[in-house]
Amino acid sequence: MNIVFENLLFNGVFLAMAGAAVAALAGIGSAIGIGIAGQAAAGVISEDPKKFGQTLILQALPGTQGIYGLLIAFLIMTKIGLLGGDGLLDITMAQGAYIFASGIPVGLVGIFSGIAQGKSSAASIMLISKRPEELAKGMVYPAMVETYAVLALLISFLMLNGIQV
Amino acid sequence: MKKLSVIGLVSNREELMEKLMTLGVVEITDQEDKLSDSQWHEMVARDSDEQTVAEFESQISRVSQALSVLEKYGTGKKPLLHTKKPITLREFQKALERKQQIEEKVAHINSLSARHAELTNSINKTQSLKLSLEPWIEYDVPLEEKETSTADIILGVVPSTVDALQFINELEEKVPESMAKLLKSDAEQHYIYVVCLKEKRDDADDVFRTYGFSKVHFGDMKGTVKENISALEKKVEELTAEKVQIEESIRGREGDSEDLELLYDKLVILRDKAAIRQNLLVTKKTFYMSGWLPAKAADKVSSLLEEVGCYYQIEDPEKGEETPVLLLNGGFSTPFEAITKLYALPDSRSIDATPFFSLSYAIFFGMMLGDAAYGVVLAVITGLVLKKYKLEGMKYQLIKMFFFCGISTAFWGAMFGGWFGDLVAVVGKTFFNADVSIPPIWFSPLDDPMKLLLFCFLLGGIHLFIGMGLNGWLSIKDGRPLDALFDVGLWYLLLISVTLLLVGIVPTVAKWMAIIGAVGIVLTGGRHKRGLGKVIGGFGSLYGITGYLSDVLSYSRLLALGLASSVIASVVNNMGSFGGPGIKGVILMAVAFIIGHTYNFAINGLGSFVHSCRLQYVEFFGKFYVSGGEAFQPFGENTKYVDILREEN
Repeated sequence: MNIVFENLLFNGVFLAMAGAAVAALAGIGSAIGIGIAGQAAAGVISEDPKKFGQTLILQALPGTQGIYGLLIAFLIMTKIGLLGGDGLLDITMAQGAYIFASGIPVGLVGIFSGIAQGKSSAASIMLISKRPEELAKGMVYPAMVETYAVLALLISFLMLNGIQV
Repeated sequence: MKKLSVIGLVSNREELMEKLMTLGVVEITDQEDKLSDSQWHEMVARDSDEQTVAEFESQISRVSQALSVLEKYGTGKKPLLHTKKPITLREFQKALERKQQIEEKVAHINSLSARHAELTNSINKTQSLKLSLEPWIEYDVPLEEKETSTADIILGVVPSTVDALQFINELEEKVPESMAKLLKSDAEQHYIYVVCLKEKRDDADDVFRTYGFSKVHFGDMKGTVKENISALEKKVEELTAEKVQIEESIRGREGDSEDLELLYDKLVILRDKAAIRQNLLVTKKTFYMSGWLPAKAADKVSSLLEEVGCYYQIEDPEKGEETPVLLLNGGFSTPFEAITKLYALPDSRSIDATPFFSLSYAIFFGMMLGDAAYGVVLAVITGLVLKKYKLEGMKYQLIKMFFFCGISTAFWGAMFGGWFGDLVAVVGKTFFNADVSIPPIWFSPLDDPMKLLLFCFLLGGIHLFIGMGLNGWLSIKDGRPLDALFDVGLWYLLLISVTLLLVGIVPTVAKWMAIIGAVGIVLTGGRHKRGLGKVIGGFGSLYGITGYLSDVLSYSRLLALGLASSVIASVVNNMGSFGGPGIKGVILMAVAFIIGHTYNFAINGLGSFVHSCRLQYVEFFGKFYVSGGEAFQPFGENTKYVDILREEN
């Protein structure tokens, strides 16, 4: 029983898939971030429904973390042959562990940066409720936060890209 | 910008203003500061015509109210983009010969809308009256029967917190010569009617008080509650019918909106012409004005002033004097002024950044969106919009800018081999079992990301160096060549040598260059500080190298976002291919294609726009840009609906 269980958990494919799962967790950050921004946006719309388009743009900004997570998860799945190709490849424990590690940056940074970016987007939505002409500046502040999600994406990608399977 | 001062005869004033307005290139400044100067104050007074301005203002507000009514109830489809309608001067004047008639139309539309508001109001009132009657619907005694010769009939409510039955019991117990009946209860109150002998009324009132029973009055309503309610319902119906009728007749007036728009623009022109007199100074027979005009327009303005017969002076601003800012750029850079304006206009004593970043903006955008097909789509859509609509101002610039960005995206996409991601390969494999793909012209970033990463850093380095160079150039222009040497030259030396060391070319030369640069920065970095600050400032300044490091690393987003859009595109294609060959597979592919690529295009297009802006605003502008200028606002025809064409003579 024990041995079967161990075989199930500690094998390369499982670890690699866990890596993909961790990467996809970045969506948590995006979901919370977009939620925060959405609350602020709805408040602004109650005063001035014409700003819907502008607030929607700002609300969409924290959504990228989830996309980055999806991207890495997808690349991992392609790498181990789960998607397309000729079926699952033979992955060693070590390779699986490497792939697992490569999913962590984008997943972890995505969660926190998504939330932080959501707050910053919400503040920018407040900004355009008073000064709609300053939309561009309002978009730059959340983009400053996103930089770190982009960097994490890059690290995840380079790590994954370097692993030979 | 040139400074203009004019003195002329009051009798020529109207003519001059009329012509300046048509020309629309002179900003006429407010003379507040001259009026507070005692020397000026003795001689001149502010010209003004507030009464005329106010008269036009009220006319404008009437017309705009009528226009908004037409827009609200009209069925006319609004065009996607608002453009001004071209109209010749003659047509414009001819249309306005009917000013009287148009004004009557305005009055008519406004009276319709006033009646509409009145109707809405009385419908609301009637309905709330009806609502207040509804709980009494079972009370079938006519409302005008408030008493008999011996008894009082009392209608009233107690709050829902009170037990109604207890109230009735107590009433009938304490005042046996009475009867009460509970008609209805709702969340707020119980509706009760009471009949009691007049002589026992005082006792009943005591019970009323204990239970918080309050009387309800129906004024002079006649008939039963039921009759009243149906009468009110009928009234609402009638009012609603009239309201619909009025809405229809407003809709029938929709054809007038064109005339109204003409009148609106005419009134705005007249108001502006009257309002500008605020900015003139007058004596009994002469007037004085001053303002700004772009250097290019100097000839035209001076010939105009000669023609009218004014004394004038056109001169350069004094050194360091703040002037209004008008951005003037070449054909390619002009659209990118939008990005500069979205940040903030440059200070009039500094420089316009637009020509220096327009190319890099397009490159960055193209690399981040990075798909040739997306680029073609973007360029075609914006190209069509530009062709179909005669846009102006910010809208025109942004659309034109996206047109250039689309071309750049198509270029980079082709370089990296992305055409809707790997659509061709996936479709080929899924449906035709063929191994086809469009090969990249340069290389595919997925195969060699490090190569593209280094290329991004290289682009970033060049971009930053241009920014620093502009900073140095501004210092030199300002007469501070040493600042340029210390703050830019030494950094150039250090950064280039560090790069050389990293790459491993001519290491010995690079080593000495780095040492000279670093020592130089430590020695000069604190030169504006005192005492110990000089030393600390120098090292602090050298520590700034971390800033350059993070600046350069920031350009890695070019790679990351480019990868994001191409990988998401291939995820979409992959999902589309899950249906396999056959008709179901084709349908799935089509659905995935439309939804997936639209989404990817939108979200990554937005990302590319925002991040290109960030690279310019934070990394590039941070090096040299001084903002804070006031926009040049020439006195001209600020029309909203029409564009008045004049034959050139």
